[in-house]
Amino acid sequence: MRVATGSALTERLLRGLIMLLLLVFAAIVLVPMLNLLALSLSDPGRVSEITGLSVLPRGLSLVVYRVLAANPFFMRSILNSVYITAMGTAINLAATAMAAYALTRPTLPLRRLFMVLIIVIMVFEAGIVPEYLVVKRIGLMNSRWAVILYKSVNIYYLIILMRFFEEVPQALLDAARVDGAGHLTVLRRVVLPLSTSAMATLGLFYGVMHWNEYFRAGIYLNDPAKYPLQLILRQFVVLDDTVSLIGSGTLFSYDEAARLSYAALQAGTIVVAMIPVLVLYPLILRYYTHGVMEGGLKE
Amino acid sequence: MAAPASLAARFRRDGFLFVLLAPALAYFLVFHILPMAGMVIAFQDFRLVGKSKYVGFKHFRTLFTSPAFFAVLANTLILSTMKIVLFFPLPIAFALLVNEVRLKVFRKFVQSVAYLPHFLSWVVIAGIWISFLSPTTGGLNQLSGLVGLPPVDYMTSKAHIRWVLFASETWRSLGWDSIIYLAALMRISPSLYEAAGIDGASSLQKMRFVTLPELFPTMVTVFILNLGFFMNAGFDQVFNMMNDSVISVVDILDTFVYRIGLVNMQYSFSTAASLFKGAIGIVLILSTHLAAKRSTGKGLW
Repeated sequence: MRVATGSALTERLLRGLIMLLLLVFAAIVLVPMLNLLALSLSDPGRVSEITGLSVLPRGLSLVVYRVLAANPFFMRSILNSVYITAMGTAINLAATAMAAYALTRPTLPLRRLFMVLIIVIMVFEAGIVPEYLVVKRIGLMNSRWAVILYKSVNIYYLIILMRFFEEVPQALLDAARVDGAGHLTVLRRVVLPLSTSAMATLGLFYGVMHWNEYFRAGIYLNDPAKYPLQLILRQFVVLDDTVSLIGSGTLFSYDEAARLSYAALQAGTIVVAMIPVLVLYPLILRYYTHGVMEGGLKE
Repeated sequence: MAAPASLAARFRRDGFLFVLLAPALAYFLVFHILPMAGMVIAFQDFRLVGKSKYVGFKHFRTLFTSPAFFAVLANTLILSTMKIVLFFPLPIAFALLVNEVRLKVFRKFVQSVAYLPHFLSWVVIAGIWISFLSPTTGGLNQLSGLVGLPPVDYMTSKAHIRWVLFASETWRSLGWDSIIYLAALMRISPSLYEAAGIDGASSLQKMRFVTLPELFPTMVTVFILNLGFFMNAGFDQVFNMMNDSVISVVDILDTFVYRIGLVNMQYSFSTAASLFKGAIGIVLILSTHLAAKRSTGKGLW
């Protein structure tokens, strides 16, 4: 223990103060989120009782979520988000793992050239207009594939995975090659099974990245039926546009909707957009955060 | 394994590696290299149909004589300074505080809460903050109302919006950015503290003479790396938190490029601004790479 006997009391006071400070920060993070959850779950008749600092719902009602579930645009956007996230993450993992394997083979011809290419891409961004014009030219406008493919490989994740693959003992790989295994077999049977936690971490990060995507969707998709949830959320909550997307007609064709406040509906939309992240969060903590910390300990 | 002599043999053995590399290469080509080549339109009057005409540095001249551009550049530098220089000590302080907590459950709780916002999109964060800062129903104004302060519409106030961006960035990144320092703190050998204890050092002296010097290399690395991205003042954040009332004080290069490019469809002019930003970015990243290599032995790559 680092406590000097003479100052035991000040030491304890200091520790108490530190915990209090951290608790205040945790509250600043949590209260605004819980406030929206409380707002969305409150009984519509008692929504006005919710203050900006309430963290518990007044009464309990799922009517906000029923109205959202009955909205075709909203449900479609969730399906679009799931589609973009699932396809995108699968492509990310496959392309990143294959490239990381190839780039970590010392015998890969032109290896230096590829590494220079990676650094160029890391250092220089073309900007949004030239990318937009390429997407237009290759005919991906108004296709969800533009939103999926524009970040097929994240350079930083590729480099992280290469670091992992480099640690696989070369003797193991040589042994497999001597046994006649091709590169694909070595990757699938030797390298990947040894890198499951790295792949899981990348999968989670890629997944969150796709789920949170809104900007490319906004510029590449014209058809609102293809919009992901984050874009609907942006229009509805950030831009406060309650008509053009949700449509007053569709929204208020439900009896219960008429009694709802927009604030509660907006809160519900935000909560739904957070749910997948919250569901994956314990896994993220397990694989990444604690992995990093434990990795630090071992060094 | 002996290296096969002939090219044909090498290809038979390793040719399949190109197949594995192909998807990533195709992606780099289409979404990175082609757009880079496409930046040539900064020197043209771009037309969607027909041939674009070369105009030399015309768009750059327009850019560098436009007061709007310098306002945007100033906003970018101000916001970057707030987010990089002003924010810099906060995650260090947070890591030091967390490191002092002995109660494991409490520590895990605080960490788990603090890392969460990093995984939320800026759309969600903007939604949360707009609601929390609302002049009528928002929690902050109700809190300040308790001590008799009049409500403030933070999101539309030019005097406050930059601090809103700073605060929301802190809200999102304080915990996450502290991870690297926490990891560094855990690597400090306990024997250093024991030795300091035997020499009669107080807690504060241990902090000053053991903890901070041990953290110093990490601080330098983080600061240098952040400087490399100085021109990125946070597109997603600004894009989701700005509105017409405050655009003059928060419009940054990236939002400017987006607006004149994709909203006003001045493709060439917008690309000229991108090229300017990219050129400065290269200089910054290359010099930070060299600086990092010099001071810590490890560069960006």
